[in-house]
Amino acid sequence: MVQNRMIPEPCRIYEAMQQTPREVHFVVEAPKREPFRPEPGQFVMISIPGIGEAPISLAALPGEGAAEGTFEMLIRRAGRLTNLITRLKPGDTMYVRGPFGRRVTWEKFEGSNLILIAGGLGLAPLRPFVQRSLLHRELFRRIDILVGARAPEEILFKEDLASWSARRDDVRVLVSVDAARSTWSGRIGVITTLFDEIDADVEDAYAFICGPPVMYRHCLRKLLGMGLYENHLWMTLERRMKCGIGLCGNCQMNGLYVCQEGPLFSYREVRHLKEAV
Amino acid sequence: MTERDVYRLPRERLGALVARLERDYRVLGPAPRGDTYAWEELRPGDPVSLDYPTTMLPLRALLAPQREVLFTFRRGDDGEVAFDPPADERPLALLGVHGCDLTGLRVLRAFHDSGTRDRLVTNRLDRAFIVGLACWVPCLGEAFCRDMGSLDNEIPADLYAWDIGDVLLVKVLTNRGRDVLTEVTPMEAATAEEVVTLRRRLRVRLEAFPQHLKFAPERLPIALEAAEGDLLWDANADRCLSCGRCNLVCPTCTCFDVTDASPLDGRTGVRVRTWTGCQVTGFSRVAGGHDFRPGRAQQLRYRIFRKGKYMPERYGMVGCTGCGRCPHHCPTRISIREIFRQVGGTA
Ligand SMILES: Cc1cc2nc3c(=O)[nH]c(=O)nc-3n(C[C@H](O)[C@H](O)[C@H](O)COP(=O)(O)OP(=O)(O)OC[C@H]3O[C@@H](n4cnc5c(N)ncnc54)[C@H](O)[C@@H]3O)c2cc1C
Ligand code: SF4
Ligand code: FES
Repeated sequence: MVQNRMIPEPCRIYEAMQQTPREVHFVVEAPKREPFRPEPGQFVMISIPGIGEAPISLAALPGEGAAEGTFEMLIRRAGRLTNLITRLKPGDTMYVRGPFGRRVTWEKFEGSNLILIAGGLGLAPLRPFVQRSLLHRELFRRIDILVGARAPEEILFKEDLASWSARRDDVRVLVSVDAARSTWSGRIGVITTLFDEIDADVEDAYAFICGPPVMYRHCLRKLLGMGLYENHLWMTLERRMKCGIGLCGNCQMNGLYVCQEGPLFSYREVRHLKEAV
Repeated sequence: MTERDVYRLPRERLGALVARLERDYRVLGPAPRGDTYAWEELRPGDPVSLDYPTTMLPLRALLAPQREVLFTFRRGDDGEVAFDPPADERPLALLGVHGCDLTGLRVLRAFHDSGTRDRLVTNRLDRAFIVGLACWVPCLGEAFCRDMGSLDNEIPADLYAWDIGDVLLVKVLTNRGRDVLTEVTPMEAATAEEVVTLRRRLRVRLEAFPQHLKFAPERLPIALEAAEGDLLWDANADRCLSCGRCNLVCPTCTCFDVTDASPLDGRTGVRVRTWTGCQVTGFSRVAGGHDFRPGRAQQLRYRIFRKGKYMPERYGMVGCTGCGRCPHHCPTRISIREIFRQVGGTA
């Protein structure tokens, strides 16, 4: 019998760590019905039966950033389902389907400079990209991680940022906030102001962008202006999603289904689409 | 047309056909409802009326219903939830399906064959027994099925009927169609006179269905692409109310929303999908409030592009059957036919 692909699987919550008043970092048992081997940029559908279902990015992959047999997510309270999910505790169960989305394999990125860019909650989907590149550090040249947040107290994954920053000689981490009180000693300014500090050879650089919808145009404009190739600019696009498997139609962007052909796209793949960025 | 495999079905044998189908299928046919028609269950002995203009809701309402349970769930005492897929259903037999609705089923099939197969829908499609029926006059003034190649479409029917008066001439298109017909008629070939009558009526029919478009539908993707920045979208959007009726009545819309329903105890419940559509405000809005297709002009253009460009490019079939339902039911008469006509031009 072919599985009804809309039926989720129970997965145990191992850890639930409050990161900010509205965001919780979860470590969850991986689904077992089928091999769970996601790539960076993929997502899962999580639910509580009786409440609803929502798409959530993988924030760490099993055997890479997360322990084997587990995966991680960062969930923001944004509505009915996420308000309840973020109250779940270790030992509780959430219901999971996936992974969904396009699998982009990494051979083409090897040997290049990586510029990893995250705005706000975008650091969650970007995290597997960082973890993958640090796990295979020798395969890449320079690695720049640029992170933007609205305010210092909204910066996510602070421990990760600290440990990545600690690898001073082989990774550069730049963090900027849009606005801050005088106690903040870091950079202030929108994320694109950090781009001036990138000194990697742009002919040989790949950029990955994850962030809120408004961020993409600004980032793309700046990176294109710096000379990056259009097919070296990768980004994860968010759309409303109700199935994850190309049926419900909510995620359509011109003729593409973001849940299947994305959410990770290169700029060259979508630059002609009026509904993309 | 070819007269091979065309047999006589005297009108009074329709009841026998229903009775035969009823053994294996849930039989449905068009029946008057209010000032329109709807698909309703036929019981043996019920009068079979094949003379109907069109239904308001497209046939997909039976194959991918407006509200459909995806699974039921039960929470046990240990808190664990068990899921049950929906129970098997009786297969459908659909009696008297017009060309546009046959095309709609074809598009539905192409949609599922090209991507994730939705078994709930494809199982119904696979098992359905379909009796097509030729139209002699346009059912709606807004119809342009001839332009869209639906008028003559017989696929995916098992049997296809021309009603020429006292007798229906029935073409056999599948083996199971032959098996059923063999059981209800002696399989007499159409007489020479009947064939002549049929040919004449098919000739006359072309006058009843004038052509509206001055180009072939295969050109739609290119024509639309060139018109992406046109003011035509604004011109139509000025009248659009975002009511979503056009999505509701379209035979090739497939979009749905997913919600859970559960009695207050929270122990049992269902996850259901319900039709939604790209013209409904908020369809493309995500958490944080950003709408990726804000504005009526963009939404309207999206609907037309999906039917005339994205669907042919993706599924190999134009997503508009020419049934005329959306302009007919649009409160402000926004017409996909007129938009196609304007975009495609005169050459
Ligand atoms: C590919 C993808 C990855 C995502 N990754 C994350 C993540 O890692 N962490 C995180 O916190 N959030 C993520 N989101 C956003 C998350 O899916 C929404 O916050 C969630 O759907 C809100 O659901 P709710 O029931 O709590 O809110 P609701 O009460 O349902 O609605 C709140 C808001 O969310 C919008 N919305 C409703 N359903 C959806 C939907 N299916 N998709 C998008 N928006 C919707 C509504 O229009 C409304 O504006 C992601 C979304 C996508 C598409
Ligand atoms: S039926 Fe007409 S008014 Fe309603 S959404 Fe469709 S085009 Fe707009
Ligand atoms: S999320 Fe349903 S089609 Fe993409």
